[in-house]
Amino acid sequence: MYYELLEDIAQESKIRDVNPAVKLILGLGCILICISSDGFLTPLAIALSISLITIVLGGINPRFYLKLLLIPLGFAIFSVLVIIFIRNSGDVIFSLDLFGLLTLTVTKGSINEGVLIFSRVFGGMCSLFFISLTTPATETFTLAKKCRIPDFIIELAMIVYRYIFILIEEAEMIYTAQLMRLGYGRKKGSIESFGMMSGALFINSWESGERLIGAMDARCYNGKFAMLGEQKAVFGSPLILSVLYLIVFLGVMFFTGDIDLYGGIIQ
Amino acid sequence: MNPIIRLNNIEYSYPSGQKAIKGINLEIYEGEKIALVGSNGAGKSTLLLMFNGMLKPDKGSVVYREKPVSYSRDALRELRKRVGFVFQNPDHQIIAPTVFQDVAFGPVNLDYSEDEVSRSVSEGLMYVGLSGFERRPPHHLSGGEKKKVAIAGILAMNPAVLVFDEPTSALDPASSESIMELLDELNQEGKTVIISTHDVELAYPWADRVILMNNGKIITCSRPAGAFSDGKVLRDAKLSKPVLLELYDSLFEMGMPESEKLPKSVLDFVHMIENKINPGVNCCEECGSIYLIDADRLGDESLKKYLEGDRIDFVGAMGSYAKKRAENDGVDLNFTYGVIDKCLLKAISGRNSLIITTGGMVKRVTDRVDEFRDESGKFVNVVSHDDFVVMF
Repeated sequence: MYYELLEDIAQESKIRDVNPAVKLILGLGCILICISSDGFLTPLAIALSISLITIVLGGINPRFYLKLLLIPLGFAIFSVLVIIFIRNSGDVIFSLDLFGLLTLTVTKGSINEGVLIFSRVFGGMCSLFFISLTTPATETFTLAKKCRIPDFIIELAMIVYRYIFILIEEAEMIYTAQLMRLGYGRKKGSIESFGMMSGALFINSWESGERLIGAMDARCYNGKFAMLGEQKAVFGSPLILSVLYLIVFLGVMFFTGDIDLYGGIIQ
Repeated sequence: MNPIIRLNNIEYSYPSGQKAIKGINLEIYEGEKIALVGSNGAGKSTLLLMFNGMLKPDKGSVVYREKPVSYSRDALRELRKRVGFVFQNPDHQIIAPTVFQDVAFGPVNLDYSEDEVSRSVSEGLMYVGLSGFERRPPHHLSGGEKKKVAIAGILAMNPAVLVFDEPTSALDPASSESIMELLDELNQEGKTVIISTHDVELAYPWADRVILMNNGKIITCSRPAGAFSDGKVLRDAKLSKPVLLELYDSLFEMGMPESEKLPKSVLDFVHMIENKINPGVNCCEECGSIYLIDADRLGDESLKKYLEGDRIDFVGAMGSYAKKRAENDGVDLNFTYGVIDKCLLKAISGRNSLIITTGGMVKRVTDRVDEFRDESGKFVNVVSHDDFVVMF
């Protein structure tokens, strides 16, 4: 396999057996704290601590984790740069005249705002990665059922989940077959090959759909889908720890809310 | 005895108009092991799909236990509950995101209670030796494991007839052997097993009855030795002769006297040649013994204990539970498939072997040994579990 899916990593996670509800509470709680924090310190602290949890407790390769984080952070850095140059409030720190056409100004206020937004994104992404790297989708279906999400949506999600992997496998096989016959050698050929692959995948999915109905009928399908039983897994202590963690960071949020990089308050 | 499934003059054409099945009559009896053998495109898979009503014949009828299938929704449900179908490609059959959910798919739709569902799932998985895989997603399994999940999904519904389309295609030799062993085990428990294959080596020793198909028709339907001995028929069906029969034919042409029964296994063959070389010599004192251990009755004891000393030369295990048990106890297995015959082979060369097995299969060992004694006149001593355990 040339690719590594977050789902595959989640399946191998060391804290896979912790109740998914607890992991979701922790992850979503962190995201909420990150986006409601007025100070940049809290999201940064959450980012660091939850990354540590993901890497150490979850057993994720740190290099892989950093690489993964670079993708959203790359986007975040560029967006924040734009914000820093465009927003104007407070004392001017630095100003640059671009050939008399455009003046780029950096102010204390814009730096504060940029840093806050960056830290929120950073914290939020780390929390999101915590969820996606430790909680496999297969475990969340039962949870969805408990949350009273309608059965047909869950069933559809489960079938989609199963077929995503079949489709990926098929795409990979077609791609390899094309690659071996130099299908991606030239620009024009690449476009054609890609189109051919898309077409073949569409027809394959169509056929898979028909086969799926056959397979379900062959096993007396009567509108029911089995759910994965509740896990005997650890529930109590991780829940208490997660709640403690969230309370601590709520506290941190209240006490560090008015600390800014440049001392001023965002206007 | 009434047939469990009867096909009456079945005809079927693909939607494109091409005729796939051209008038087939077939009776299948309870407890049979049937191999449908034919080349690619002979119509095997199409015919198999008739058995559980996935395809409706254009002409003719399918009769299950004396009742013609009516193809109404309820009748089909009832039929599919009794006749389980395992697809050739497990990816086409596995629907759910985890092994547990997939195996539970049938039982849940048969309205089993929650306890019954989890019991039938764990039984199904234990049968195929995949206990503990419940929460794994199917795309994390190997080809052989996927196949076993597909089989477990059908076993969990506890059908009377099991239909397998190419059960060993795309599997490595060890996985194929373990699947065939599993089919034997299921048959031993009274299930009727029907497989389609183009592997003559596989069908020849395994089947009770072989049905040769070509071009949408049945060419012959007889015991394996009969079906595979006519060279012309096999050539017409684009098949080849099993190596054992080929060897037998060659030796026969070179002047070896004909034997009254065609050899079905290596054991038969060795015995046959031995008879020709030293006719009438049946010295039983040279024969080794076969010791039996029933893994079910062993409790927590380790198997290792019984292997101490130099009484036992070879160890074999039959059935998934026995194999798992041997693995857990760190016992090195010499034989994992074709165990009885191999142990008999060792016994006639004077070596002792131990067979680890479970429940119903104990009888299979003694039956096979008795059969061998009747055929060859050689007496191989079988030491039962109780007698063997007492020795320690």
